[in-house]
Amino acid sequence: MDAARALNAAQDDRPWGALSDLPGHPMMWVLILTDVVTFGLLFMTFAVTGAVHHDVFAAGRAQLDPVLGGVNTLVLITSGWLAALAVESRSAGRRGTTQLQLGGAMALGFVFIGIKLAEYIVKAKAGIGLETDTFFTLYFLLTGFHLLHVVLGIVILAAIALADSAENLKTGTAFWHMVDLVWVVMYPLIYLIG
Amino acid sequence: MTQSAAPQVTRAWGLLVLLTLLSLAASHSGLAGLAVNGLILAAAFAKGRWMLLDFLKLRGVPPGWRALFLCWLGLVTVIPWAAAALPLLRG
Repeated sequence: MDAARALNAAQDDRPWGALSDLPGHPMMWVLILTDVVTFGLLFMTFAVTGAVHHDVFAAGRAQLDPVLGGVNTLVLITSGWLAALAVESRSAGRRGTTQLQLGGAMALGFVFIGIKLAEYIVKAKAGIGLETDTFFTLYFLLTGFHLLHVVLGIVILAAIALADSAENLKTGTAFWHMVDLVWVVMYPLIYLIG
Repeated sequence: MTQSAAPQVTRAWGLLVLLTLLSLAASHSGLAGLAVNGLILAAAFAKGRWMLLDFLKLRGVPPGWRALFLCWLGLVTVIPWAAAALPLLRG
């Protein structure tokens, strides 16, 4: 009886089981885990297809601008840094600084979108699209799917700027860091190695 | 989370910037092949690790969670390296 009561008490303390150990709301971590698995499978698909169609991928990669991709990486990691600092500021009770840092993180998110769209426009003007070849089909699929996550991430950052409890900050910024993490792997995979 | 974690976050950001610039320099070095690919993907692994530990705050969670995410990171960096190595080894 005592054991059953202790078990119930433990379940009350950790209603999401192991997910309760992670910072922020566990439901966000369900989304993060789903996304990392999905992106992981997409990365495998890209890598294996690149090994099979090596020449097509080498030609496609040669048409990308790695410096632009690198600039976007710096933009996104700086945005992630500001988001992480916002959590620290909120924990220290500095709400004004928190808002500024979240604003900076969102602004850099928009810069990332602008650079990526500029890249897409350059490709479109060169006659390159989704159906050009296997490389560009996967390029647009992977970067486009990631771009949708950047847009969603900015919406989440805006939401936590409005409801800026410490718990909300941890939950919302966790998604933003996942978007950042995925790009850090995607950038070398698509632009640099081959 | 205490205020003292901010310097750690900033240190992680500095390392992420440095490794991004090194990766870009390596890709522009004119060298190609397994070693350069390995260097670039090792940098991506290191960057991802710092993001997980210092941005996503996984330093303080049970080790199983860190192991899970680091395994994912290992897979998505090692498999692309191995896949890119196949055509290079075939010549």
